[in-house]
Amino acid sequence: MENPAIQTNGLTRRFGALAAVEDVTLSVAPGQFFGFLGPNGAGKSTTIKMLTGLLEPSAGTIEILGQRFGPESLELKRQMGVVPEGMALLGRLTAPEYLHYVGRMYGLDATTTNKRTEELLEFMQLAGEHRKLVTDFSHGMQKKLAMAAAVIHGPKVLFLDEPFEGVDAIAAGMLKNMLTGMMNRGATIFLTTHVLEIVERLCSHVAIISKGRLVACGSLDELRVGVASALPGTEQGQRFTLEEIFLAILGADGHRESTQELSWLA
Amino acid sequence: MAGLTGVGASRTGGGMLGREARTQYAAMARMRWRIFVNGLRTIHGLLDLGATGIAWVLSSVYGLGLGVGLCAAAYSLASRASWQYLPILFWAVSILWLMFPVVVASFQEQSDLGTLLRFPVRFASYFLLHLISGLMDGSTIIGLLCCLGVWLGIAMARPDLYLWAALSLSVFAVFNILLVRAVFAWIDRWLAQRKTREILGLVFMLLVVSLLVINSVVNQKHYEGWKSHKEEAAPLRGALDKYAPLLKTANMVQQWLPPGLGARTLLGATEQKPVAEFASLSMLGVWAVLAGSALGGRLKAQYRGQNLSWAPSRDKPIGRGSGWTLCGSGPFAAIVEKELRSLMRTVPLLWAVSVPLLFVLVISGMFHPSSSSDVKSFPYVFPLCVAYALVGFTGLFYNSLGAEEAGIQLLFLSPTPIRTVLLSKNLVHSILFVFVGLAAGVLSCLRLGVPPFVVLAGTGAWLVFALLCNLAAGIIFSITMPYRINPGRITRPAGAQANTFPAVLIQLGVLGVGVLVFWLCWSLKTPWLPVPIFLALAAGALFVWLRILHYSDDNASQHRDALIATLMKAE
Repeated sequence: MENPAIQTNGLTRRFGALAAVEDVTLSVAPGQFFGFLGPNGAGKSTTIKMLTGLLEPSAGTIEILGQRFGPESLELKRQMGVVPEGMALLGRLTAPEYLHYVGRMYGLDATTTNKRTEELLEFMQLAGEHRKLVTDFSHGMQKKLAMAAAVIHGPKVLFLDEPFEGVDAIAAGMLKNMLTGMMNRGATIFLTTHVLEIVERLCSHVAIISKGRLVACGSLDELRVGVASALPGTEQGQRFTLEEIFLAILGADGHRESTQELSWLA
Repeated sequence: MAGLTGVGASRTGGGMLGREARTQYAAMARMRWRIFVNGLRTIHGLLDLGATGIAWVLSSVYGLGLGVGLCAAAYSLASRASWQYLPILFWAVSILWLMFPVVVASFQEQSDLGTLLRFPVRFASYFLLHLISGLMDGSTIIGLLCCLGVWLGIAMARPDLYLWAALSLSVFAVFNILLVRAVFAWIDRWLAQRKTREILGLVFMLLVVSLLVINSVVNQKHYEGWKSHKEEAAPLRGALDKYAPLLKTANMVQQWLPPGLGARTLLGATEQKPVAEFASLSMLGVWAVLAGSALGGRLKAQYRGQNLSWAPSRDKPIGRGSGWTLCGSGPFAAIVEKELRSLMRTVPLLWAVSVPLLFVLVISGMFHPSSSSDVKSFPYVFPLCVAYALVGFTGLFYNSLGAEEAGIQLLFLSPTPIRTVLLSKNLVHSILFVFVGLAAGVLSCLRLGVPPFVVLAGTGAWLVFALLCNLAAGIIFSITMPYRINPGRITRPAGAQANTFPAVLIQLGVLGVGVLVFWLCWSLKTPWLPVPIFLALAAGALFVWLRILHYSDDNASQHRDALIATLMKAE
């Protein structure tokens, strides 16, 4: 049986008394487009930081591509691409300079880096902005650049923290095509986003985290079946959207939509 | 998209000097170079470069001066074979190295290497990069020049010792570099969490109050003691006799500490005792390793991903009305309240404000009645002490929007004019400045006695003038040359030089005016004259401040894009 591309066992991160992520065990198969969902402050970004080596787990293990992952797992880091929370761009560089820097940090030679930089800038429609500093880019352009930096070394596993936030519809479509292409060529993609439509369209498997704990994990169909069996009054063959699944699962976990009215609002 | 197929990274090992590591160093060097070159595209970048260059030159001149002094002292000691006093020089260098950033209330610029963790970078490379980045800061330049001075002095007096002196001083320098880095790294670690920052903020405030209380008690005892020593007519010798056993023990202990070991290495060389030489040098090396381990331990934790500043907010419900709230409503009260809260959580600013008070003790100590001079002969120490308290306010006055970060947008979105915001901030900072100025004045009076009334009044009038000048210039600087303040890091943020250096020049100018007026009036035997002069100057400064405040909305609108970009966009 093929090793999972991403495997966590009892992954936990505590900040003092607060458990931001607690006992998360999940498995992502190679070539899977995996959506990692949850409300604000649920622990999504903390999980991604642990999975990419930016944050030390308090407990639990991480395996990437069948190997134990830790800070010294340099070979694994070469196989991983990341769009971190906040993007980690360098504002006083131009886009080509930044991509060149990232490519070389991943160990690409100068010729390959230059070639890929040109291709990526062309693909991301940033080629005309080669003199502009990253700090002067719009938010969407910065997202595209962060995405370009995440894939310049051709990773096998890609971690994306809110990659579509602030990106226009055209750019989002372009990024989706690129990610689908990567997945078709065998790359594994681990995505967090609040845009449930994107997850529904792209992801085959989904996990939902709430208050640091994994409350659901499986294929979309498995989650639909689970929700259908749990919700009273569900009709035979009723097809839930991901939003309905999401709200149903979080509702069961204690999250409620506010019904309070603010009388002073027009 | 051919580039997206397959991992193209070259497979190379070889440790921190291997091919891959060298490629990464080259990439980082190129990145730093491009950031530097791109920075020159803007006036802010050019100013930053100019200010950094001048800071280096000043540090070098200061270091050279100290180096020459230490060279002469080392030469004198070595040529007279007074080796027992050599540890004093090593201690002086070590204390200077560690205390220089504290005295100038400014810490070295330190790159955030946390972003490197996503790349396949070895720990050894990470450690090396941390050491290299920010190596050319003031304290290192001065410390190295001092070591060079000591080495030259010894080598000139005793050429046969040049090799041992070089070895001893090299290990000593490495120890100091590692120690300073370790101290900064651990302070940053403690400041990573908001709760710790608040506790440290409270500690700083208590420190200021304690200084006043302790100083008062010590001073009272000192005066009593001083009188009796005068009666005995041999105060120093008496004290030395009294504390001789303590001094002997202290001397025994210091021999095992790095400065003492550095000196002992040379002592062993002069006495032709190779075993003692090697033992002392090895012990010094052990200290360097210990300092390196303290730094390494912290960096290893960072490398593993221990980043406490990423801690999400606690799930504990916060009670309504918890904490204090300021009386009054409206934007003015809101900004004052927010400013006070932010200030209590921004340790670098509190630190900068508090530290000059420590230096006031040093200045006043130099003119203490127990020394040869009498306070009556130099009553102008008082204004000097109070003026020094201004140094710590550079960050607050001249970068008053720096702690806003992304919140700067709210200032432009809200219907509150920017001048109201700046006026509120000016008010808070002025109250704090008056508090610190009073503390400095009280400290000075406790140490030196109360100066004549004309000096007190003149100092008060000068303070009003200085405060208004700084507020006026500060508004312009805050809008045109802001830099983002990270409340969790005590090290200096990038881009701060362009703001700080001209701000310090303005402060020196205001101080220069004060010195000139006091000196002229003293020379003309009209000690009361500074009061009306400073009050007249203060009236002019008030007019300028009001005009600048009046136009601050237009000014802020013109610089809105740059302000927002600097305070909230990518680093």
